[in-house]
Amino acid sequence: MKKIIIDPVTRIEGHAKITIDLNDQGKVDDARIHVTQYRGFEKICEGRPYSEMPALTARICGICPVSHAISSVDACDNILAVRPPKAARSIRRVINLAQIIQSHALNFYHLSSPDFIYGFDAKPEDRNIFKLMQTHPDMAKDGIKLRAFGQKIIERLGGKRIHPTKIIPGGVSQKLEPEVRDQILKEIPEAMDIAKRALKYYTDNLHKFKREIDSFGNFPSLFMGLVDKKGNLTHYDGQLRIVDAEGNILEDAIEPRFYKDYIGEAVEDDSYLKSPYYKPLGYPNGMYRVGPLARLNIINACGTPEADAEFERFKNINNGKPVLNSFYYHYARLIEIIYGIERIEKILKNPKTSEDTVRSYAEVNRNRGVGCSEAPRGTLFHDYGVNDDGIITDVNLIIATGNNNMAMNAGVKQVAQEFIDGNNITDGALNRVEAVIRCFDPCLSCSTHSQGLYSSTIEIRDHNKEIIKIISRA
Amino acid sequence: MRAIVGFGNELRGEDAFGVDVVNLLQKLSLKDTKLITLFQLTPELCMDLLDADEVVFIDAAFCEDNQYALACSIQNQTSLTLSHHISINTIKEMLNILYNHYPKIEVFSMLTCSFDEIKNRDLYECRLNEIVKFISTKNSIYK
Repeated sequence: MKKIIIDPVTRIEGHAKITIDLNDQGKVDDARIHVTQYRGFEKICEGRPYSEMPALTARICGICPVSHAISSVDACDNILAVRPPKAARSIRRVINLAQIIQSHALNFYHLSSPDFIYGFDAKPEDRNIFKLMQTHPDMAKDGIKLRAFGQKIIERLGGKRIHPTKIIPGGVSQKLEPEVRDQILKEIPEAMDIAKRALKYYTDNLHKFKREIDSFGNFPSLFMGLVDKKGNLTHYDGQLRIVDAEGNILEDAIEPRFYKDYIGEAVEDDSYLKSPYYKPLGYPNGMYRVGPLARLNIINACGTPEADAEFERFKNINNGKPVLNSFYYHYARLIEIIYGIERIEKILKNPKTSEDTVRSYAEVNRNRGVGCSEAPRGTLFHDYGVNDDGIITDVNLIIATGNNNMAMNAGVKQVAQEFIDGNNITDGALNRVEAVIRCFDPCLSCSTHSQGLYSSTIEIRDHNKEIIKIISRA
Repeated sequence: MRAIVGFGNELRGEDAFGVDVVNLLQKLSLKDTKLITLFQLTPELCMDLLDADEVVFIDAAFCEDNQYALACSIQNQTSLTLSHHISINTIKEMLNILYNHYPKIEVFSMLTCSFDEIKNRDLYECRLNEIVKFISTKNSIYK
């Protein structure tokens, strides 16, 4: 048996490698993604005051600081035993949606669209943003504008685009000013036009990727995410729902603070990324997926008109049952962008969002707090223990990308078995192995709280697990 | 109009060099100059540079030799990678190709291998002041 190692995996956030084990006939026997960085943020936080946690944990990542800040303040609200004022919750919700819009835009336009436009077998030098800028400049500009739309909202409401400072325990530190609200509302029509163009491009070209749709992480699994009280899409201040591959609701209306009753965390020797699983089914049978695809698979509706119109088409893919093909993460991402824009508009037009009271004050009232929000990549848990003085005693973080670890591994194996021929390893096949990971849009910096070079490697190993080839993808 | 972009992580020792330079420049009320501080470079920065005739990037660059030396060439900025953050060269390419905008671009990088702390504060501040003086005493670095 031989082994292929892809290292680094490209066009993702963070450092990872893939190993592909070949049998004696040169066929793929197994394939796995390994996350090779470690920083240990959970230990770093011990001994710090709880009030520092939003700022500290936002530093886990320069890409997803908003998501961490939102889950962190949610956990701190639990510790204080307060519910922030309506206006504060609305402002947090808008910031979180802006983060989702800008992050989804970057994945679609800058990381994944070269595969859609030029195909997975295109020359490596053509599968990048620079070729896209030359051949599809309007699309590249759309990506920049849509990201700027989200980032500016974060800056205006959160104080800074990266590591925003105004999301604090008990609420937010600044009310929504009318001029800020009006400026954001003014930018919404253009953002919506861009989002619709992207969606049209994607759906018009889907027919070209039938083989990828069928093999990119296409398998039964559970799906998990937050829903609101109506069972509709929400990314903040919701309750957990878990459905199976047939669409049956296994768990519903779970308060996130009880997450440990439902989610276990396994550890594998070959990766710093934990493998969370649904406890009642055990490890590894309790594999579930989170993120845009999972969110659309668990909800009753989006709750906004344009997104719901597309959501109906999305549901038709599998006759109303959960969509199992991970290639459709991209589709779900685009629907979520539209939802995010609509929802931001609706929230900003609600006069209650502009009310003056944006913070609740309290001392430490509980010794444990769990926060949960939907990050762009999926459900994000922050779980803090504190002593009576509010000093952190223990931290557990389940990061969105980590939730998808088992599914990403299953996806890598499926694609490798479909496309890799050990006797003739093509670049297009290796690109597909990486592309299935890009479907999940992992943020490995977040998931391991890592630092270092952002890129990744494919290793090929024989049946004795000895490396026979290393393919650098930097 | 001139744009000066200082970028880096203020919590990571000498990586904050570019941000610290711009923070000092902010006290000087420079004419016809837009000052920008960033944690990292991202694609939407292009939109803030469309009205700039000149763009000056200031950052810290990893180098084990010649620490605290100032390197001033965009030729050294060869990376065209794209992840969730990007390089100076990628910003330049985006401006050129997408917006047909060709500002003069200069890079001031302070070489360092200290991303945990400011190892030699005297030298660090000396470099800060040199850059600040150089930029502030000229209306434009090209005039």
